[in-house]
Amino acid sequence: MSELRDNGLKPRVLVCECAGTMGENIDFERLERAFADVAEVERSPVWCNRQGQARLLELMEEDGSRPLVFAGCSQDFANRRFHRLFERGLRLEVADIREGCSWVHNGDSESVTDKARRIVEAAIEFPGAHDDKMVLENRVDSVLVIGGGVSGTQAAAELAQMGHRVELVERRPFLGGRAARIGTVFPTNDCGQCLPTTDAQAGVRKCFHRNVAIDNENMNIWRRATVESVSGRPGDFEVSLRQLPNIVTQDCVNCGLCEEVCQVGSEEEGGKAIFSEFYDGRVQRTVDLEACTFCGACAEACPVDAIDFSQSPELTTVHAGAILTAVGCEPAPARLVEHLGYGHEHVVTQTEMAELMDEWEEASWLGEQPVKELVMIQCAGSRDRRRLPYCSRICCMIALKHAIRLRTLFPEMKVTICYLEMRAAGVGYENWFLAARRAGVEFLRGTPSEVQFDAEGRPVIEVEDVTAAEKKILRPDLVVLSTGMVPANDAGRIAEVLNVDLDEDGFIDILDRKNRATETTTEGVFVCGSAAGPKALVECNTEASAVASEIHNFLSSAGRKSVPASTVDAAKCIGCDTCEAACPFGAINLIERPADAPRPAEVKGDGKLAVIDGEACRGCGICAAKCPELAITHNLSDDALFGRLRTMTGGVERPVVGFYCKECAGAAISLSGLRHDHYPDSVRLIELPCLGRISALHIIEAARLGAAGIFLAGCAEERCQYRTGDLSAEEQIELARELLEEAGTPIPLELWHLCAVDRHTVGRRIRLFCARAEGSEEAYRAGIELERVGSVPCAGGGDCVHASA
Amino acid sequence: MSTLVPEQARATVRELEAQCRQCLQCGQCIGACPNGFELELGPRRVVRMILSQDVEKLLKCEDVWRCSECQACTEACPMEVDVAGMMGRVRELQMEFGGVRCPERKVAEIATKRLSRKNKIDNMLFGTAMVSRGFIPSDLLATAEMGIKMSTGKVRRRPRLTVEGTEPKPFYAGCSLQQDKEAFNATAKVARELGFPLAEQEGAGCCGHGSRGKVPAKLETDKSVFTVCPACDYSLQEVEIETEPVWQALVEHARREELKLAAAKPRFVPYVGCLTDRETALGSLADAAELADAEMVSSYPGLHAGCCGALGAMFRGPTEAVLKLIDFAAENEAPIVTPCLLCRDNVRSAVRSAKKKVHVYFWPEFFQAAGTAATTADGEADD
Repeated sequence: MSELRDNGLKPRVLVCECAGTMGENIDFERLERAFADVAEVERSPVWCNRQGQARLLELMEEDGSRPLVFAGCSQDFANRRFHRLFERGLRLEVADIREGCSWVHNGDSESVTDKARRIVEAAIEFPGAHDDKMVLENRVDSVLVIGGGVSGTQAAAELAQMGHRVELVERRPFLGGRAARIGTVFPTNDCGQCLPTTDAQAGVRKCFHRNVAIDNENMNIWRRATVESVSGRPGDFEVSLRQLPNIVTQDCVNCGLCEEVCQVGSEEEGGKAIFSEFYDGRVQRTVDLEACTFCGACAEACPVDAIDFSQSPELTTVHAGAILTAVGCEPAPARLVEHLGYGHEHVVTQTEMAELMDEWEEASWLGEQPVKELVMIQCAGSRDRRRLPYCSRICCMIALKHAIRLRTLFPEMKVTICYLEMRAAGVGYENWFLAARRAGVEFLRGTPSEVQFDAEGRPVIEVEDVTAAEKKILRPDLVVLSTGMVPANDAGRIAEVLNVDLDEDGFIDILDRKNRATETTTEGVFVCGSAAGPKALVECNTEASAVASEIHNFLSSAGRKSVPASTVDAAKCIGCDTCEAACPFGAINLIERPADAPRPAEVKGDGKLAVIDGEACRGCGICAAKCPELAITHNLSDDALFGRLRTMTGGVERPVVGFYCKECAGAAISLSGLRHDHYPDSVRLIELPCLGRISALHIIEAARLGAAGIFLAGCAEERCQYRTGDLSAEEQIELARELLEEAGTPIPLELWHLCAVDRHTVGRRIRLFCARAEGSEEAYRAGIELERVGSVPCAGGGDCVHASA
Repeated sequence: MSTLVPEQARATVRELEAQCRQCLQCGQCIGACPNGFELELGPRRVVRMILSQDVEKLLKCEDVWRCSECQACTEACPMEVDVAGMMGRVRELQMEFGGVRCPERKVAEIATKRLSRKNKIDNMLFGTAMVSRGFIPSDLLATAEMGIKMSTGKVRRRPRLTVEGTEPKPFYAGCSLQQDKEAFNATAKVARELGFPLAEQEGAGCCGHGSRGKVPAKLETDKSVFTVCPACDYSLQEVEIETEPVWQALVEHARREELKLAAAKPRFVPYVGCLTDRETALGSLADAAELADAEMVSSYPGLHAGCCGALGAMFRGPTEAVLKLIDFAAENEAPIVTPCLLCRDNVRSAVRSAKKKVHVYFWPEFFQAAGTAATTADGEADD
C-alpha cells in the first residue's frame, strides 16, 4: 500500500508530549496502545531538546530504513526544531497533534485523543510524498544579457566580475542605451553615461568609454546582434544570435575622414551614414546599414584601411544557463499625443526639449530668450484608459528638471506646468519640486484635453485651473509634452522568443510583484530595468545589481528536481489537452504517442499523449485534479487523499472538513494553533501541496463521509504560489456544489483566502463556519454579542437589561 | 426646497457614484466643454458632488441646465466616465426630487437670470412658444413678440423641395427650420439647385433633444436621414436612425458633381456652435469655401465652437466666447457663417448688444449654387 510499508518494516512512531502541554486533553497511554500492533512506539516528554535529538540521531543511524512518524508539533515547527537532522538526511512523517489538535481544542480527553489517534494513523497509513527525488543537475555557467543599456551593461559587468561567462547582446552598435543619449538625468543632474567602477579603478563611477569593467575577460559583447531563437531548458539554453557587421574594423583611429567624404544622409548622430557616437569607446565608428549606399567612398578615404564592406551577417549559437532581458523602454509614439498637437512646430516632447535646451544655453549667453511663454503638459497621453493607462513614473521629475533649468537660464521666461498630480516620490525628489516652485515655475493643477492653434499657428490651450475652479486660456509659444514610456518596440518579439509573459501594459511581466521583481514567468529568464516598466536611472542601477546576484544564485545552485511531482498513466491518457491548458508552468506537453506506449481502448491510431517536464513542474497537482480520465497521479495520490479523508472523518458523526494548502493558508492555520485559538474538535483538516490539488471528487467524498460543511483554504487572493491553484479549486468547489445540490444534499462549501496575518482571525472563522455547518449560526452570533456585552462594564441602573437577567 | 432629501434620491446618487469612482478630477471635461467659460461649477465639480454624495447641492446645481449635451466632456475623459450622461442624470434627479417641474421653464429661468434690459430676448422664433406661456418676464421681451405673432394662426406654405426625375433624400428639418420660413426656403433652394432634392419626413418636428424633455422621435426609417441640426443627430441616433449633416452632404455632392458654389461675400469667419462636431463642421465649411472661391478666416478651432449663448433655446446675453468671435470677425472685416440656426440668431443678438458691425449668415444664406441669383436674405441684424 504505502511506500513506507513496502519494505516490510513496521514504522516507528515517536510520540512527543511537548513538555506536558498536551496532557490536559490527550491521553498518551491510550494513544500509545492504539498503535502497539502496527508500529514501534517510543514516547518522550520532549523530542526536540538535546537528549531527544541525540536519540533521534541514534535511531536514524541504527535503523535508517525504518519509516519514522513523529506525533507532536506541526511540520513547520518540526522543520525548524530538527533542521540540523533534516540536513543530515532525516526523513520524518509529521503527525501534527499539537497545533492541529491538542492546543486548539478544549473538548473532553476522549474525543481529542481520538482525533489525535486518527491524525497519527493517517500519517502512518497514508504518508505524504517526500521531496527525495532531487536530481542535481549542473547549470551552464554563462548568462545571456539582452540589451546593452545602463541596466543590462551594469548587470553584465557585475556578473562578469563574479566570474560568470557573459554574452552581452546589443541591437545597436554602441552600448549605453537611452540614458547615454539623453542629457543630464535626475536626481543628480549630471550625465547618464556612467557605470560604477570596480576595485581596480579610482573613483566611484566612470563613463562607459572609460570604465574597464566592460573589458572584463569574462564578457563577450555582441553589437548589432539580435536573438533569433531560444531552445533548451532552464540551466542550459541554446541561443541563436544574428549579428550584423560593423563594416568599420578595430583598426579605425577615428580620424573622421570617412565622415567628411560620405555624401549619404542618415538620422544618426552627425547626419551621415558613417558615424560615431563614442558612448562606450570600444567601437570607434560604424555604418548606418539602412542608409548606406555602399558607394565605397569612405573606404577609399580611410588612411588605415579600416573599412571592410566584405563582411556579412553571421549566425552564431551560444549556450547560457540563464538569460537576462534588459530591453528597456522608449518614448510613447506620436499617435498617442496627436490630440495635444504633437507634429506641430510649436509642440515638442520632453526628449526633444532636452536637445533644444543645449541650443538654448548658447542663446542665454547672448542674452536672448527663445520663447516668452512655455507650457509643459504632464501625463500627456498617460493615465488615460484610451491611450497609456499607466503612470510612467519618470515624467514628473524630467519636467521639474527642465523647468528649473529653463527658469535659471531665462529668468524672464514664463514656465507653466499643467499637472494632474506631481509624483515626486524618491530619495531627494521632493527637493526638486520645492526648488521648482522657488525658481518661479507656475504649477497649474489641471490637464488640457487638447492643444489648438490660432491663425498664426500659435498654440492655444483651454484648461481648467482645478484649484481655482475656473477655465483658462493659455497662449504659450512652445508646448512641451511629458509623454509616457512604452515597451521597447521589440519587447513583444523578445517575449515570444523567450516564452515569457507580458503584463497588461506590454512590458515584461515579473514573477511576483512583491518578492521576485527581477524574475520573469519563465524559470531561468530574468528581467531588470525599464523592460519591466518605466524606471528612473537610480532604480535601473539598483535592479541591475539585484538581478546580478539573483542570477549568480541561480547559476551556482544546482537544478531542481528533474522528476515531476505527477506522472501520466499512458494506458488511461486519451490525449485531450485539459492538463496542458491547466498547467500554470507550461510543464505539460502533448506529444505524438510512441508506437510502443500503452493506450486506452478508445484511442485509436496516432493519439496524443501528455508528458510532464520535471524541470518545469513545481508540484501543485492541478493537472491531477483536472484530468477527466484520472490518468495523472500526483505524489499525494488520490488513494492517499481518500484514505486520509476516511481515517480523519471517522469517530465523529458530523465532521467539518477543511482542506488547506501548505503554503500561506498552512502558515495561518499553524500560527493560529500556536496561539491556542480554540475550535471544535469535529473539525478535521487535510493538508494539500496547493489548493489546486483538490478536485470535486474529494469534496463529494468528504460529503459522502458525513461532512456537515467543507471549507477550502488557499493563499491570499490572486497570490496563489502556484498561480492558478485557487482558481482551479474555485471551479471544483462550484462543480461539487452543483452535484450536491442536484443530489438534494447541499452542505455549506466555502473557499477562503488566507495568509499569515489571518492567524488572528482564522480560529474565529472556523468557529463561525462550524456553527453555520451545524445550522446554529444565529445562536453563535448571539453568543458573541453576549460575550461582548458582558465584557463592557455595565452602568447598571433600573432599565439595564443585565439587571433583570 | 425642503432640506429633507428622499432616500430614493440618495440611492440614485449612490448608484451614480459607483459609475464615476475612477474620476481623477483632472479637469479635462471643463477644458473640453465649449460652454466651459460660462459655468459656475462645471462637470468636474458636478462629478465631485456625486462622489461626495452631496445630494442637496446636486439638486440645486444650475450648471446641469447649461449643458447642451454635446458630449465633448465624455469624449475628453481619460477615465471613460460618461460625464455628459451624469449631467443628464442629475437633470432627471432635479426633475424628480428637486422641484423642477418643467425643464423648459427651468432653463428659461436660468437664462433670464443673466438678462438685463440691455439684452432682451428678441430672437429664437421657435422659442416663442415658451415666451408665450409666460415663462419670461414681459419687460425682457423685444422682437420675440413678433415671433409669437408669426407662429400663431398662420398656415405655412411649403416650398418645393423635390426635383423631378431625381430620387429625393429623406430630410429632417427639426424644430428650428420648421419655424423659420426663410431659412427653410433658403435650404430648399440650394439643395434643389445643386440637384440634391430633399423630401421632408413625416413627423419631423421636435426631435426630443434630451435636455428639453422626453419627446421621442416619431420618425421610423432605415435610411440615412439628412439633418440641419446636430441636436437632431443625437436624438435620431438614440433611436438608431443614421443621420448625416445636410451641409456636409451638399458640399460632398457638389464636389463629386464638379459643381461650384457661390458665396455672398469673398471672405467669412466660420462658427459651428457647441453641438456640432467641430472638426467635421469646420472641415465642411472650409470645403464649401474652396468650392465657392471664398476665404475662410479662422483662428484656433475652439474660438469657432464656443457657446452661442443659447440655453434651452433662449438667448441669455452674449457669451465670452461669442464676444471674442465677434471681435475677431470685426477685426477681419468678415461676416460670420454658421450651419446652425440657433447660433445665427444668438450671434445676431450678441452682435447687437456688442454694438459691432458684423453680419451673421446661416449656411444657405451665404452659400448658394453658383450661377443662381444671390440669396434674398441679407443676413444683417435688424436694426
